[in-house]
Amino acid sequence: MILAIAEQHDGVLSGVSWETVAGAQHLSAVAGGMPVKAVLLGPGCADAAGQLAQAAVGEVVTVEHAALAPYTPDAFTAALEQVVTALAPAFVVLPHTYQTRDFVPKLAARLDRPLVTDVVSLKGSDRGPLFTRLVFQGKIAADVLPEAASPCFVTLQAGAFRADAAARGMAAAPVRPVQVSIDPGAVRQRPEPPFREAKEAVDLSKAERIVAVGRGLGKPEHLPIAQRLAALLGAEIGASRPICDAGWLPLERQVGSSGQTVAPALYVALGISGAIQHAVGMKGAKVIVAVNKDADAPIFEIADYGIVGDLFEIVPAFAAELEK
Amino acid sequence: MLEAWAFRILFLVSVGVFGAEIAKRVRLVRRAPGRLSAGGVLARLWRTLVEVAAQSKVIRERPLAGVMHAFVFWGFVAFSGFSAVQFLKGLGLADLTGARWFHLYSLAVVPFAVAVLVGILALLVRRVVLRPAGLGTALSVESVVIGLFIATLMVTFLLDFRLEAGPAARVNWWVHALVILVFLVLIPNSKHLHLLVSPVTIFLAAPALGTVRNLDFEKEEVGLEEVKDLERKQVLDAFTCVECGRCQDHCPAYGTGKVLNPKSLVLGNEEALLCGSRDRRLADVYEAGALWQCTTCGACESQCPVGVEHLPLVIGARRGLVSNGEAPEYLAAVYNNLERRGNIWGFTSEQRDKFIAASGFEIFDQARHEHLLWLGCAGSFDADFQKALRSLGQILRSRGVTFGVLARERCTGDPAKRTGNEFLFQELAAANVEDFKRAGVRRILTACPHCLKAFVHDYRAFGFEGEVAHAASLLAGLLEKAPAPGGEVVTVHDSCYLARYAGETEAPRELLRRAGATIREPARRKARTFCCGAGGGLLFEEREEGTRISEARFEQLQATGAPTIITSCPFCAVMLKGAQASANAETQVIDLMSYLAGRLPSAPAPAAAAPAGST
Repeated sequence: MILAIAEQHDGVLSGVSWETVAGAQHLSAVAGGMPVKAVLLGPGCADAAGQLAQAAVGEVVTVEHAALAPYTPDAFTAALEQVVTALAPAFVVLPHTYQTRDFVPKLAARLDRPLVTDVVSLKGSDRGPLFTRLVFQGKIAADVLPEAASPCFVTLQAGAFRADAAARGMAAAPVRPVQVSIDPGAVRQRPEPPFREAKEAVDLSKAERIVAVGRGLGKPEHLPIAQRLAALLGAEIGASRPICDAGWLPLERQVGSSGQTVAPALYVALGISGAIQHAVGMKGAKVIVAVNKDADAPIFEIADYGIVGDLFEIVPAFAAELEK
Repeated sequence: MLEAWAFRILFLVSVGVFGAEIAKRVRLVRRAPGRLSAGGVLARLWRTLVEVAAQSKVIRERPLAGVMHAFVFWGFVAFSGFSAVQFLKGLGLADLTGARWFHLYSLAVVPFAVAVLVGILALLVRRVVLRPAGLGTALSVESVVIGLFIATLMVTFLLDFRLEAGPAARVNWWVHALVILVFLVLIPNSKHLHLLVSPVTIFLAAPALGTVRNLDFEKEEVGLEEVKDLERKQVLDAFTCVECGRCQDHCPAYGTGKVLNPKSLVLGNEEALLCGSRDRRLADVYEAGALWQCTTCGACESQCPVGVEHLPLVIGARRGLVSNGEAPEYLAAVYNNLERRGNIWGFTSEQRDKFIAASGFEIFDQARHEHLLWLGCAGSFDADFQKALRSLGQILRSRGVTFGVLARERCTGDPAKRTGNEFLFQELAAANVEDFKRAGVRRILTACPHCLKAFVHDYRAFGFEGEVAHAASLLAGLLEKAPAPGGEVVTVHDSCYLARYAGETEAPRELLRRAGATIREPARRKARTFCCGAGGGLLFEEREEGTRISEARFEQLQATGAPTIITSCPFCAVMLKGAQASANAETQVIDLMSYLAGRLPSAPAPAAAAPAGST
């Protein structure tokens, strides 16, 4: 039997759980059709189990205990140690998340069982399933054959299996709560309340299109010229350092070595000279269009399309054409 | 009789206290790890003679205060025999005061005593009335007391000629003797310990500025983590510091409102060594963050009159932090880029290949090419600096100089070295040296002063023995002497790594003159240049505390009124161009090589311009 340990937070199943189920189902297929069961832990797992029960699994086991909230590696290890021991699976499959990275090595060591981490694919062989993982910074792919007694713990790299590849069941799988005993005194970690680092309000790194402005803009009153083009293209506004230094745009719009690193499909650089400090932030852009009146500007060395000319003539003409 | 015994007891107490304090410091030096290297003894002795006996550096860097100091120093040396004879007499060991030679000697010392008096009074006025920033915000009472002591010694000496034997003369004698005895007690705990230690530290300082030896990983060296890791020379440096503040005055970080003050680092060490735990973390001895504000420009070390070496301290302490994973966040990406892609910005080698193909550079072949043209990260990936290399290539070709580039390059490791990631540096260095050997490289030409320093100073330990030259130095030796007519006004920004570390200040100026430029010099220039702010990994940290160093430097250069700033280092160009854009100024910043292209007089026939072995 294969156990798929899914993840949920406050009753919301995390997307990676479907990848884990898909991976467990694939493992089942190459390992002679072993049954698959899913496990959910922590507060709210009954709600999440309702969603997970859609999957083609034998059952969904839920584990609730006061000591499981908030997350601590000691409590999770204690709970799963009992669940795994009781169910005696051949494989335990988990997503390779920050949380599992935190407790799975301890869990495997506690049970003295093998652990194969960050697996990117798996296949059958006459000696049992082979798990593929990348080593030496991704230069070599190693096939790992676990030989020790079961269960074997396996964590799957995010994206190794597609969430939509998880087979859904004909009917909802039964949900079965199980009891575990955790000694709160044995939990050594005392988590602080979760906090989020002040996140930049604009995440340019995910933008598909960016219109970036530089010193060539002349003065802040000219910003609307670029903003109109950005609106027409459905693009975010970015800027080089001097623009943000001068306060024309907030710091979070800065692209470059001390700003954001971006990789849009389209990067339109208006009045940007293309100094290396800016170029390193946009080197991932697929198509770079540059408008600059200085034909010697370094931006033309990296641009796919370069227009030497006055951006105050070119950009409005561009925008007018787009509006048609 | 009673008087003689009282003097003997006081003498013993004074010498005893002095001896105990000195012994404590000697023990600290002996306990410290590391060896004191003294290779090249003659050159070291010569430097000690010039800098200590002749006071050359003290006078050169601060002429007025320096001459006053020299007066006091020379006078004191001349005067020491007088006090010694008086002490021999006071202790009842020998009375030479009646000797004819002593009388003549005493008379000969009079002008020296007057010089000391003038010198020390001038220095007291400077300290108490003028109060330059380098001497600290709080007035050092101890230094004033010692200054008055020195004045008193001279006055009592001169009075001695005027006083008839009698009670007044005795009192005068006692004042003189007591001042010396108290001075002796004060010396070890004050900056005046430099009287004893500075000749030693000047002798022991590395021959080349900014020498930071490579770590020996076989010996499990990781850098300086705790007070007890400070090496012998660093302990001596802490005791020799004379607190003059030349380092502070020249430090670009301190000068732009950051917490780093090179003087405070050294004095912090002194305090940590004398009191407190040997296990204290070194980073906690200094102001938080100070270690990461150093651009490794070397101004402090080059200014120091007593041979303190700041760079091994700063970089050593950074190594200690890096080995514990405590490098600042902005360096993580740089290290990652260096490890994975072999360049500081994380570009793929494909982009370098494109540039090589576009500029028509040949791949180095030792049979056909005299020089290896080293592109470096900037030459490989910075579109702006690539122009400089293209024009360098044109000039070389027009003069018949043969050169090629490596098919693949990785960073010299300079940013890793200066930020304390020694392991990464050594990996890069060893691999590069291996490539040089395989390709049969004997002469390297680079337009980057940072690559230059790494090759010249740090690569020797990896078995690299070839010649290395900055493009400006090579061209200055190569080009025809006749200056071109013209008259364009430019100013020159000296790169710290070229001007201070490589000592090359003339070649760029010579080349500019030959290209017809008129040079308007900035106040801070040549070996006293002011950093652009890029060195020591700070290229990657654009969010500086206080004023940006690059902007401060840009203003200094702008103040010359020249419309063009000439740089000889790709990183200076990046920083100054950034400052230029932020200031929205008309002043243009251009690399020397790019400037030369098209401005040099046209080349004579290549054969005549490049005689064999012209480099």
